[in-house]
Amino acid sequence: MTGSFHDPGTVTPFPEELLSGYLDGALTQQEEQRVRLHLERSPEARAMLEELAALRQAARSTPFTPIEDRQWSEQPRTRATAIALWLGTGLLALCGLGIVVLVVWQATHAPSGTEMQRGLIWWAAGLWASGLGGALLVFLSVLGDRLSDRRHDRYRRVLK
Amino acid sequence: LKDMSGPQACLRASEPTTTRPGPSLLVRARAGDAAAREELARTSGEAAFRLALQLVGDRELARDVAQDSVMRLFAALHRVDPERPLQPWLFSIVRHRVIDLRRRAQSRSERPLESASGAGSADEALARDLPDESPGPLERSERGELQRLMWSCLGRLDSAHREILVLRDYQDLSYREIAEVLAVPLGTVMSRLHAARRRLREEVLATGYRFGGGS
Repeated sequence: MTGSFHDPGTVTPFPEELLSGYLDGALTQQEEQRVRLHLERSPEARAMLEELAALRQAARSTPFTPIEDRQWSEQPRTRATAIALWLGTGLLALCGLGIVVLVVWQATHAPSGTEMQRGLIWWAAGLWASGLGGALLVFLSVLGDRLSDRRHDRYRRVLK
Repeated sequence: LKDMSGPQACLRASEPTTTRPGPSLLVRARAGDAAAREELARTSGEAAFRLALQLVGDRELARDVAQDSVMRLFAALHRVDPERPLQPWLFSIVRHRVIDLRRRAQSRSERPLESASGAGSADEALARDLPDESPGPLERSERGELQRLMWSCLGRLDSAHREILVLRDYQDLSYREIAEVLAVPLGTVMSRLHAARRRLREEVLATGYRFGGGS
């Protein structure tokens, strides 16, 4: 961005963003020299720099209310529990999708004949397996995390 | 005022408020060390929460964004290069989650996220009672007033200006780190940052505030 300032005594526009770079100490020696010369000659640029510095200082010293420490207690603790959680969630999603497909299929094709009945039985068995498997994996993941939490509880000895 | 003898007292207002997880912590966490993983979750969670709060201005949303970002960080931990700083990686995740939230809010025609950070939520977000190392009470109160004004004006900036200001002036990232988080060329950082600072200055002046003399 090129600002509205000009290097006094010249027609070359002064690249105003150099003021921010100067404030952050991100300029080359040559650029710094150019900014210093410009600041000596331009009261507007000096005023702008002081105001930007005040804003930057206020931002840097703004304190924010921290988050509660217990917020992160639901993290999967190990790679195994994380994998189990993802797999379990995936299987549950698959089960949900299977139910939707089954309902749509039944609504559009009335089941008839032994082949169809057998297909339905297999489909239902697949749904049960993925649903139960998914729920079991999620349960084991949470259980694993809880057991790990108990082992690594920093306050366990204090509470004894 | 809150009791300042607790853990909050450790936060000094004049210091950059980010915690940077070190490379050794990352290596131990990747190796499955439970204590290191817990420490990494805590430090990266705090950093993610702080950035998310500064970007969306709402504690509840920021909490969700931070938690989701930490989960994603852990899911991709094996891909993180321990030789490089973790913070830009984490902040990229947070930024993308915030962009997703914005898109979702827009598609549901909800109010823009930035409006959540108006003056109404400043008391909740800014910790007024943390120690400040300004020399005198007058300067402290002037700085506090400017901090509050800036926080509400920040909500009126567009998202590109807001995020670059937050990354540089609130999170103290270097230009190179900002370029990495925003995925822009290094040369763009300075010009965009200056444009953002100019806009913020205009917003602050529009409230009637006068630099050097308060409002």
